[in-house]
Amino acid sequence: MIKVRNLHKSFGAHSVFGGIDLDVARGEAVVLIGPSGSGKSTLLRCINGLERFEQGEIDVGDIALHSINRVRPSRQDLETIRQVRLRVGMVFQQFNLFPHMSVLENITLAPTLVLGIDRRSAEAQALAFLERINLAHKARCMPGQLSGGEQQRAAIARSLAMKPKAMLFDEPTASLDPELVGEVFLSIRDLIEREGMTTVIATHEMHFAREIADRVVVIDQGVILETGPPERLFSRPQHERTRTFLSRVLRSL
Amino acid sequence: MAKARFRYLLLSFPISLMLIFPGSVSASRSTTEVILSRGVLLWGCDVSGGAPLAFVDPKDPEKLLGFEVDIAQAIARELGVKAQVVQTDWDSLVPGLERGNYDIAMNGLEITPEREKRVLMSRPYYAYTLQLVVRKDEQRIRNVADLKGMSIGTMAGTSADALLKKIGGVDIRAYSQTWPFDDVALGRLDGALMDTPIIAYYAKPDQRLKYAGPPEEGGFYGIAMRKEDGDLKQVVDDVISRLLRSGELRRIYETWGLWDAAQARLSAGAPERDAADRLRTESADAPLRTFFPLLLQGAGITVLLSAASMALAIALGLLLAYARLSHGKTFSSAANAYIEVYRGTPLLIQLFILYYGLPNIGITLTPVAAAIIGLGMNYAAYEAEVYRAGIEAVPAGQMEAALSLGMPHTLALRRVVLPQALRISLPAMTNDFIALFKDSSIVSVIAMVELTKTYSILAATTLRYFELGLIVALLYFGMSYPLSLLAKRLEERLKGGR
Repeated sequence: MIKVRNLHKSFGAHSVFGGIDLDVARGEAVVLIGPSGSGKSTLLRCINGLERFEQGEIDVGDIALHSINRVRPSRQDLETIRQVRLRVGMVFQQFNLFPHMSVLENITLAPTLVLGIDRRSAEAQALAFLERINLAHKARCMPGQLSGGEQQRAAIARSLAMKPKAMLFDEPTASLDPELVGEVFLSIRDLIEREGMTTVIATHEMHFAREIADRVVVIDQGVILETGPPERLFSRPQHERTRTFLSRVLRSL
Repeated sequence: MAKARFRYLLLSFPISLMLIFPGSVSASRSTTEVILSRGVLLWGCDVSGGAPLAFVDPKDPEKLLGFEVDIAQAIARELGVKAQVVQTDWDSLVPGLERGNYDIAMNGLEITPEREKRVLMSRPYYAYTLQLVVRKDEQRIRNVADLKGMSIGTMAGTSADALLKKIGGVDIRAYSQTWPFDDVALGRLDGALMDTPIIAYYAKPDQRLKYAGPPEEGGFYGIAMRKEDGDLKQVVDDVISRLLRSGELRRIYETWGLWDAAQARLSAGAPERDAADRLRTESADAPLRTFFPLLLQGAGITVLLSAASMALAIALGLLLAYARLSHGKTFSSAANAYIEVYRGTPLLIQLFILYYGLPNIGITLTPVAAAIIGLGMNYAAYEAEVYRAGIEAVPAGQMEAALSLGMPHTLALRRVVLPQALRISLPAMTNDFIALFKDSSIVSVIAMVELTKTYSILAATTLRYFELGLIVALLYFGMSYPLSLLAKRLEERLKGGR
């Protein structure tokens, strides 16, 4: 469903990717792990157009994203990117809920304005989502009144309200207190197992990889070190660097 | 024709004077002695006040011309010293004298009981009359009796002003830094009533205007000196008498076309108390509350002006900020240019161009329109930058989240970023609004009388600068402070969302 081919991306003089490939099949849950600066977030952001790239091709469903003129994207380019975003939702490390609107309004804003869904239906749908993740009682609250975990779950509901075909999670629990990580983890797992949602998660949390990934991709310095099902990767990593990385991380758990 | 008033600034002199002579002259030496030892007679004058009293030579801006310049030089010569002008706003001439910025003040200062309470006035050196001018095609006004219900321009705090008040029912427009003659010719005013020297120089040669009626009784110009300088007054009076007797004053006035029957009578004998006294309606002893209606009216205009201008500034500023962020090159560069130009040039000049310059291309604005547009457009440039800062202060993640939901850029801006940016901008905007309240006083240069101008006029007539000043300061505070409180409340309420 998502195909990344020969992606080249630099920030100024610093090259992040020198030609990377990734395949995500429909219904697959892929977890990207790797040290900071390895490019996991950048990869996700390239997929949904928040970052431009110099070379390569990204296919999302039926849409092809080529390297787009970063200085002055044409109207057509911008619209293409927008179409990609309608198919692929993104959840951020900082949640990024809109602080001047209630949780309910956060969730209904895009469906009403972008998809043209009438307010009543959008609200009913939003409340249904919130029910599922046990946040219905906070529907009318402002984001500032929610805990970190609640905010992130609300953010997930907000993305889901646009009925995306796939979801990208950029370090979804990295800003959360340890005790709140669990509830977000559960919501994501529920999404994958119940809906069969195509998911790509960039994370530090190893148990994301272990427990919900169909496939784990280890990235270091813009290069995919290794990829495979979690059981194999964690017990029998093939590369030296993977082994070093894993041992470092596992030891700190 | 636009009349840009040229200011001849002698900055070093007043400043060094204030350092050398703080407050009044020291008691140990009389002013006359100081002048003689200094070798220079300092006289306070407003050269932007213009011809034919004292003004800058258009051919040689370093030189001053005018009959008062000639008189000052004559006086200095008789004393054996040189004369030097200390440029001062006409409204501040007497206070400046009291502070010791100069030795004498001479600039068409009428001899009045109010003035004589505060300063010494020399014997008269010129007998002025008041002359009414109107447009050449004006049929309704034949003399001062026809002025009821008309809008007439005059110089604030003069006997012309007092005469108009006495006639009653006249819409008096006060001018102090510019002349009303253009406005009469353009139809913004029905007429102007001013002292003859000024009329003779500016209005007589103007083909668009004509005199209406005979000259009205006026009064006398005198030279102002500090109360304690009785000896200087003796000297000055002597000199004036000598100049009258010797015919030198007559020669000076003839050069400027100002010698008439009134001057002849002046040189003949000691003058009586002039008619101007009878026309005074304001007394320096009136209780302060007599001034409240006028001051409140001024305050009302200030509030109206500020509110309307701020509304324009906010709306226009939003448009500019929007244009600046747009992807279209033309819009954003146009917005940029606007902001740089309006921030980079003085508000005063923008107002002048708006009010006095536009008629050249056929656009004549009323003072109110020019004031609101001028203030609004100027402040819009600042508000645009405030919004830009506010927008940039909104975390980038907000825009990213909105875009990730498939919202087009404009929609994301409008519904997600701008509302947050506005909340962030609120303190800065309130600040600007409060500043605008005070800045609104600048519109006095385009013939709008608001609170500060009202103060200026009243103080110039009654010389009660301090008491009136306190009241006006309180009024301004009373207008700004509630705004400040309201803004704080608004911020609290909006913060609830965070």
